[in-house]
This record gives sequence, C-alpha cells and structure tokens, in this order.
Amino acid sequence: MTASRPAASPIASARGLVKVYGGGDTAVRALDGVDVDFGRGRMTAIMGPSGSGKSTLMHCMAGLDRPTSGSAVVEGEEIGRMNERQLTKLRRTRLGFIFQAFNLVPTLTALENITLPLDIARTPVDRAHLDAVVQAVGLTDRLGHKPGELSGGQQQRVACARALVARPAVVFADEPTGNLDSTSSGEVLGFLRRSVEDLGQSVVMVTHDPTAASYAHRVLFLADGRLVGDIADPTPETVLATLGSLRRTGPRHAAPAEASPSSSPTAS
Amino acid sequence: MLRVALRGIRAHLVRFLLSLLAVALGVAFVAGTFALRSMLSGTFDGIVEASTPADAYVRGLDPAADASDDGDDGGTAAPAGGPGAAFGSASPGVPLTLIEAAAAADDVAAVIPVIQGSVVLVGADGTAVAAGQAPSLALVYSADDPSITLLAGSAPVGDGEIALESGALAASGLAPGDTTTVVLGGEIREVTVTGEVGYSASFAGATLVLLPQDVALAVYAPDGLVSQLAVFGADGATQDDVVASVTRALAGLDAGDAAAAGVEVVTGEDVVQENKDAIGTVLGFITTFLLVFAAIALFVGAFIISNTFAMSVRQRMREFALLRAVGASPVQVFASILVQAAVVGLVGSALGVAGGLGLVELLRAVLGSMGMELAGDVPLDAASVGLSLGVGTLVSVVAAAIPARRAALVPPVEAMRDDVTTPEAPMHRRLVVGLVLALGGAAALAAAMLRPDSGRAGLLLGVGAGAVVVAMLALAPAIATAVVRVLAWPLVRALPPMGRLARGNVVRNPRRTASTAGALMIGMALVGAATVIASTTQASVADVVAQEVDADLVLRSAGAGIPAGAVTDVRALDDVATADAFAFAALAVAGPDETGDGGDTGDAVAPAAGTIVVGATPGTFGRTMTVTTVDGDLATLADGLAAVNQTVAGEDWRVGDTLRITSSTGSHEVQVGAVVTSQGIGGSVVVDADVLDTWEPPQAQVIDTVFVRGTTGDVEALRTEVAAAVSPYIVVSVMTSDEFVSDLAAQVDQILVILYALLGLSIVIAVLGIVNTLALSVIERTREIGLLRAVGLGRLQLAATITIESVLTAVFGTAIGLAVGVGLASTLPTLFADQGLSQLAIPWGSLLAMLALAVVVGVLAALWPGVRAARLRVLDAVSYE
Ligand SMILES: Nc1ncnc2c1ncn2[C@@H]1O[C@H](COP(=O)(O)OP(=O)(O)OP(=O)(O)O)[C@@H](O)[C@H]1O
Ligand SMILES: [Mg+2]
Repeated sequence: MTASRPAASPIASARGLVKVYGGGDTAVRALDGVDVDFGRGRMTAIMGPSGSGKSTLMHCMAGLDRPTSGSAVVEGEEIGRMNERQLTKLRRTRLGFIFQAFNLVPTLTALENITLPLDIARTPVDRAHLDAVVQAVGLTDRLGHKPGELSGGQQQRVACARALVARPAVVFADEPTGNLDSTSSGEVLGFLRRSVEDLGQSVVMVTHDPTAASYAHRVLFLADGRLVGDIADPTPETVLATLGSLRRTGPRHAAPAEASPSSSPTAS
Repeated sequence: MLRVALRGIRAHLVRFLLSLLAVALGVAFVAGTFALRSMLSGTFDGIVEASTPADAYVRGLDPAADASDDGDDGGTAAPAGGPGAAFGSASPGVPLTLIEAAAAADDVAAVIPVIQGSVVLVGADGTAVAAGQAPSLALVYSADDPSITLLAGSAPVGDGEIALESGALAASGLAPGDTTTVVLGGEIREVTVTGEVGYSASFAGATLVLLPQDVALAVYAPDGLVSQLAVFGADGATQDDVVASVTRALAGLDAGDAAAAGVEVVTGEDVVQENKDAIGTVLGFITTFLLVFAAIALFVGAFIISNTFAMSVRQRMREFALLRAVGASPVQVFASILVQAAVVGLVGSALGVAGGLGLVELLRAVLGSMGMELAGDVPLDAASVGLSLGVGTLVSVVAAAIPARRAALVPPVEAMRDDVTTPEAPMHRRLVVGLVLALGGAAALAAAMLRPDSGRAGLLLGVGAGAVVVAMLALAPAIATAVVRVLAWPLVRALPPMGRLARGNVVRNPRRTASTAGALMIGMALVGAATVIASTTQASVADVVAQEVDADLVLRSAGAGIPAGAVTDVRALDDVATADAFAFAALAVAGPDETGDGGDTGDAVAPAAGTIVVGATPGTFGRTMTVTTVDGDLATLADGLAAVNQTVAGEDWRVGDTLRITSSTGSHEVQVGAVVTSQGIGGSVVVDADVLDTWEPPQAQVIDTVFVRGTTGDVEALRTEVAAAVSPYIVVSVMTSDEFVSDLAAQVDQILVILYALLGLSIVIAVLGIVNTLALSVIERTREIGLLRAVGLGRLQLAATITIESVLTAVFGTAIGLAVGVGLASTLPTLFADQGLSQLAIPWGSLLAMLALAVVVGVLAALWPGVRAARLRVLDAVSYE
C-alpha cells in the first residue's frame, strides 16, 4: 500500500557515514559506513542489538553529534558542515525530538512544554494546529499540569505533541516507548503513525520492541555500525523473523548484504 | 569512608572550590582584623614609647581621679598627638616654677616642659602640610632633651626660627635655611627653618614643628602652666630613683606651696603603660567594629557553604543511597560529609589567613604611600591564626551538618529509583516561627518608639532589629515564590520562553533561592539602614542649620581649629558686622550632686574629664545663633553664668545649680543661668568667651566655627573680603550657609564610604553565593539544558535564561534586604530625635541605585555559570547521568 507510493526525494539521507569514538587501541567504530535514505512522509524504525550504533546514527542525522566522515543531509541541507548557530536554527525549525525519558522541562506546564519550540523561535502559535495536535494526543484536560503531575505515558505524549507542533521536517525518536507499558506504548505509537498518515509527517524511530517497529512503514536493522537488514511494511512476526535470522548469522559483518532479506539497503 | 569522602571532594572540585572561596573570604576578614589590630597597636605603642622618652614625669594631680587612680582615664594625660591634645587636658597644669626645684634634685640630668600645641606649617607649595588625618604639633626643642637629635642645620633660637622633624621636612618640601609661614597659637609668623631633627621612632605621619623652649612656653603656656614636666635621669639612675628624688625635692619646697601640692611624679614606664592601656581601649572598639563585619562575612559565607553542601547532597542522593545499600551506616554517611566540610573549612581558612595578611599588607602599603608609616613586624600571632582557622572550620562543619543529616537518612531503596527527589518539607513551621519573630521584633521596636526616653529603648531597638532580621531570613523562603513572580512578570512578558524558564527555575526551590539571596539580604539591609541613617543625619543637619543659624558666612578649619588671629582680622573688616566664634575646651565638669563636700561619701560619679565647654562670643545668641531656651535666660551669660545644653548634657543640671569646672588653671565654680536645647552647639556647657578665657588659656581652646554677618547684605562681596583676610592662615575655609550644610553632609558621606567599603565585602561574598548556586544548578539541570538545546534554544538564549535567573535572585535579595533595612532605620528618628536625628529622609535615589546595582550583580554572577552552560555539548547534556 504505502510502499507503492511514488518515492519522492528522501527527507533525510546518509552517505558513507562513519563515526569513531575515541582513538588508538580503544577506538570504537560506532558507525562503519552507513548509506541510508529516510522516506518523506513515512515512518521508519531502526532496530539492532545494544551497542549497534542506532542512537549514534540518529544523533548524527539530527545534528546532535558530528560524524567522523561521510555526509548527513536533512531536506537537502548538509548538516555536517553547519556551525552551531545553524544547527540550533535547524533543530528549532526543522527537527523534532522525542527521547526515552526526561523529555519535558519540569518547571513548565504541559502546554508550555508543547509550545516551547515555538516560543523559542518566536513563531506565533497556530491555534488550530495546536488544538489538532493536543486533541490527537488526548491531553486536552491535562494542559495546565506540570510534568511531575503526569504519568510516564502522558509525559511521552506531551513530548510527541511538542515534537510535532512546530511542523518539523522530520521527527527523531530514540526509544520513545522504552519506559512505557504496552497500552501506553500503543497510544504513543498510534499517535506517531497517525501524524504520518494524517499530517504527512516524517518520523524516524529507534526501538527494541518488534511490536513498536511494526507500526512503521519500514524497518532498518543495524549491527556493529552497519546496515544489515531492511524490511518494508513490517509485522511483529516478520520483524522477529529477521532479528532471528540476523542473530543466527551472528553480529559479524561478514556478509551483511546476503543476510538481508532485502537486496539493497538504500532502496526504499 | 574517609577515602569516599576525599574522593568526593576531588570528583566535585568546582563546587568545592566555590565553598572554599566563601570560607576564605570570611576568614580573610577575621584574620585581617586581627592583623590590623596588632599592627595598629604596634604602631601606637611605638609612638607612645617615642613620645614618652623621659624617666619620670611631673603632672597635675587630677582631683576627681585620685579616688580611683587605676588609670582608667589615662587618656587625660596623653602626651601623644591626637585631637585630644589640641583641646588641652582637663587635669590641672604644672607650674613652670617647679622646673628649678626638680632640676636641682639628685639623679636628674634635665627637666623639660612638655608642650604639644596645635600649629599650621605652610610648605614650599604654599599649602598647609598635613598627612591624612594626622595632626600637626608644635613641640619644645631643647638641646638637653636626649630623645631628639639635630640631624642637619642648627638649633632654632628666638622668635623667628623653627626646626622640623625629618618627616615633616620631607613632606613640606622645605630645606634648612628656607623661610616659611607658621600659624602659632592663632597668630601668623614668618620663620626660618634652621634645622632637621630626628626622633627615635615614627609618629605615624604627624607633622612635628620644634620651637625654642622660651618661644613655645610664651605661646602655649602664657599662664605659666604646662601639662607635664619631663624629667631625664642622670646616667645610672633608675626611673624609680628619679621619681623618689624628684618627689623628695618637691616635698622639700615651702610646705605651703599649693603648686607643689597639686602635682604627682610618676615613672616614664607608668605613663607609657597608661597610654598604651588607653589606646588599647580605643583599638578594642575598632576591633569589635571590624569583627562585627567579619562575623557578617562569615555568616554570609556560611549560607554559601550550607547551600553548596545542600545541593551537592541533593545531586548525590543516589550515591549515598547506594553507599547505604552496600552497608554504610547513617553515621558513616553523616561523618563522610562532615569530613568533607572540615577539609573545605580548613583549607579555606588557611587561604583566608594568607589573604587577610595580604589585605593588611596592602593597606599598609596604601597608608605608607599616604605618609602614614605603620609598624613593620609580622602582625599575626599563633593565637590569632589558630582562632581564624578554628572559626572557619567550625562554621563550615556547622553549615554542612543539616544537609549531611538529610543525606545520612536517605533510605537505601532510593538507590533503585530513577529520579531521586527529596520532597520539600512544608513551610508551616518556618512561617509560624518567622511571623512570631517578626511580630515580636515589631512589638519591641514599637515599645522603643513609644518610650524613647526610657533607659531600655536602646536595648529594645537592638533586640527588635535583630528579631526582624532573623525573621526576614526565616520568612524569605516562604515569600520567595510570590515576590519572584511579581518581579519576573515584566521579564516573562518581554522575553517569553527565557523569562518563563528563568522564573520557573527561581521558584522551583524557594529555600535555595532564599538562602542564595540571604547574603545579599543581610548586606543590603545594612546598606539600606546606613543610607537612611546618613541621609536622615544630613537632612537633620540641614534642618538644624536652617533653624539655629542665621549667618551670611561660616568659617571652618580643616586643621585643628581656626587661628584666633583669623577671627580678630575678620572682625576688623569694615563690612563685617559681627563674627561670632565658638571656642571649645575639654574640661572636667561636675554638677552639684557630684561635687559633694563630704569627701568620704565616695562620690561614685566621677565627672567626665572631657566635657566640652563652649565659649561663645558675647551676644551670639539671638544674633547669629538661635536656640530653644527650656528654662532660665540666655542673657545671664553676660553676667558670667553658664547655659547647659540639654541635648548633649542630659537633664541632670538645672537652673540655679552650681557646676565645678576643673581646668589646667585649677578649679572654678559657675552657676547655671539657662537650660537650652540645641543640636548645633556641640558642647554641654556654654559660657561667654571671656569666662572661658579665665579658665583655660586661649591657646588651649579650639575655635570650631565662626558665624559672620555683614553690614551690607552683599554676601558675595563679603565673602571675597573675608576670604582674603583669612587666606594667610591657610587652614580657614569660608562658606555660605548652604555650603556649610553640604560640608557637614560630606563628612557624613565620608563615614558612609568606609561603611560601604566594608559592606562591599559581604556583597562580594553574596555574588559568590549566586555564582555558586547557579553553577551547581546548571550541573543539576544538565539534562534539562540538553533538552532545551535539542529543541532549539540557542546558546545566547540559554545564557540569557541563566542571567535572568541570577538577576531575579539578586533583585529579590536586595529588595527584601533594603525594605527591612530602611524599615528598621526609619524608627531611628523617633528614637534619637534629641541626638540630632530629627528629620527622617529616605534617599529613594540611592535605594534605586542599589536595585540597579543588584541587576549588575546578577549579571556579573551569571557570567561564568552562563558560559559554562552554553558550552555544554548538546549530546553530552542529553545523555548526562
Ligand atoms: N560518547 C561515546 N564515547 C565512546 N563510545 C561511545 C560513545 N557513545 C557510544 N559509544 C559506543 O558506540 C557504540 C554505539 O553506541 P550507540 O549508543 O549508538 O548504541 P545503540 O545501538 O543506541 O545501543 P542501545 O540499544 O543500547 O541504546 C557502542 O559500542 C558504544 O559503546
Ligand atoms: Mg541507544
């Protein structure tokens, strides 16, 4: 279905992305030459064992970290070459973030947290859009509360609303449901998926949970800093099967492409 | 656990460095105070020894002091300089006729009359030679005096010659052989400087002019009386030998010689000791004064230390919980934090002692460059060092005890929690205690204000003010949220996300905000009170002048009084209608109850030796000076009666009473003819100038102020004329009434500057406290900062947020402190109306300037934490544990 949609230009892409932490004997190649395109108006999940470089990839794509080599492009703009001021502007206007925890400023109310990016950018609030987003996350009656008075699930939904309210080009979410039970996870993921379907958002999300991954249009698999798998229109079953086959081949990158059910990681 | 404690310091070096600095500043002040004290007393002791070189002294027997001759009034005979000397002494003088008998005694090498008169020396540049506040003194030059040596030139002989002490010679820019002008005993003289004289020790900048003995006696002892005779013993004679033989020689005089009966002979050592004791008392006051500020500095430092530990404990709650989970007992956790505090306290105190010495050395250098040489020995003894170290360490440990207790009691399960929060204890108790204190304080103040004349008013005022200040500190956390919300409102409006974020951070933890601002609160309460008192004093002075003085011009002197010759010259001017002079003499005055002729009733009340008696030009009152007469009639002054000024003297003496006055010429009686109140007259008793002259030679009086009225009404012309007439006397300044008021106001400002300098220290510490809290809260909020940066907050915006936070805290502390300080000071005019504070004046301009200063302080304090926060790398901050 959505996979058959004509592939517009990708919203973000990486070419030969390498990230090395440290140096000498203790150097860690967290990303080891990653080429990937994230589809516009699509929800992409990234999976992989712990330490495989998922967060690193996301940080490099979002301009939170600088790659050692290679390029990361968001909406046609090379972010590796941006200075701090440009990066701040990019984050403020073009990107949305959802972290695993500590997403909200404790001194601000839920509503103030949601409109924070707009306040910072001094952009006037689009009431209708705000209402739509707040309605979608189901927080209408909780807007005056401080984060400390909200449950973990509610906090993550506030974070989602905040990430979406400024209509960013792409939302990066690092294990957004890592701390939530299955019901709350379902609400958050459903909301993210709807934002893609209804509002045309692009979302990139890291997760360990096959069910969460199955909300996405596409799942990428990382191991030892390389792309080792890529499936479209996942179900929990196909995700589990792919994880299983990857685990059997072992986390060596002897033959990543062969192990991948899809022929080319960069195809979308 | 000791290792854990020391590791803790290493791991959190920044926050410990800040508390270290806080301790060091407080202790530096304490150690500096001690060092300054011992340096000053060393210097003054040196002066006393240098100026008391003789083996024995013959001096007048103070009739009032002989009952209690333990030297508690040692100041009366002080031969060392100081304004007291210029006023003359209250004990009777020694007749010069005794010199001969004393000099003839066995074991006596020389007897020299002691003269210390006020003098004005004009330097090579035509201005009066003066080093800071040090006096200019005329001394006797005698070739027989072993304590002085002629270094260059020749000894002065006759009316037209003087010698100068080396320091004075250098300061004057004159050389032996030069001619210059001096004002001696109120008269101008042209003199030749014949030589340079050396003294055995420094006189701390006093300008010393040496006159031939006959000239000095003619000018300063025209009635044949001097304050003392210095007796130098022959080689080999002990001081006691000299005293004994002189005593014998004087006793051998004609038994009926009243002059010989009224004197005593004491050893030089005794005189030195008396003077040292007297100086020690004065230094004791100065030390106490400085120590009060040191205590404030330490108290304020304690706030910072306790804040630092409270925050570091908060941040490390999980660590403590973990320690507890692996088996550490609460006592061990408690002890480990106290050990950290003790290390911080000890190291900080050591730095502080070094810093204090540095401060004093700096002061010494500054004073030295101004011509005041201070004693050169290391001015800190082991006891002072130990005390400073002990105080600093103790304050640190005590300040850390409360946070340490909280850490010790953290339950081990907290280690498992993700986000450790210690719930804020409710503020009810604090609110109740604070309100009770505030109300109690207010009640005490009200009681003091209602009955300002009762003896307990001062005590009530002190207790009330103390209670209000403590209440301010106790209530501050409870009111912080509300006050900061109001203060933040415009900022939240103007800078939406930053203002709101900053406000949120400031009210997030009201206790922390309050204790951070506490330092400023205390400092600003003092500054506010001092400012109000100063402007009230100035307004009152202006009021007094407006009410009591009606003169075209006012003459004042920067030196020790207006030369009598200047007054005579001004009177002689055609356009001058009157020149009314106020001459001061410090005499012993006893009322009727105190005179007691019963002798053995043990008259407990010794009359104040230094009561100021004012000699006014006949006809002054009702002419240039108007005072309120309570009883009697001021016209009786013309009949030789005295007026008592209730404002200074109190209400003990009434019309009809007989006062007994003891001066250098002996004992005199005078009847009280009037009782008046006046802020303007600085003395207790007023008599006609002619009467005062019969009690005390004019040379021993100080003419403080002269009020001039012209005949024409053209003040400018009169001023030009009078200024020309007094210009030869160098030290006399001519002012209009308005200038007179601002001159008096400027004197108040001078005192205020010293106070501000001292309070500046507590503000420095306060800034440090804000820096400390901000830096720590930046560390504490690292993740939040990362998040804000991730959603697009720029570095500048982040720095601005922290700056607003800092400014809000500073303004909060300043506003509360000023409000309390001003409030407390406003009660003073009611309380001290008769001491000269009649007119409450609140200097709104200065108070606004203080608030502006608070903004600056806030911005300054935010610089470093702001830069630190802005430098945080977004990713590191986001993933900060
Ligand atoms: N700041 C750093 N310094 C050094 N090494 C790092 C740093 N951050 C990550 N690494 C290393 O890079 C590799 C990839 O880390 P990354 O955080 O991207 O993994 P991840 O796939 O997100 O793992 P998880 O699922 O546990 O979150 C790991 O081996 C990690 O140890
Ligand atoms: Mg990760």
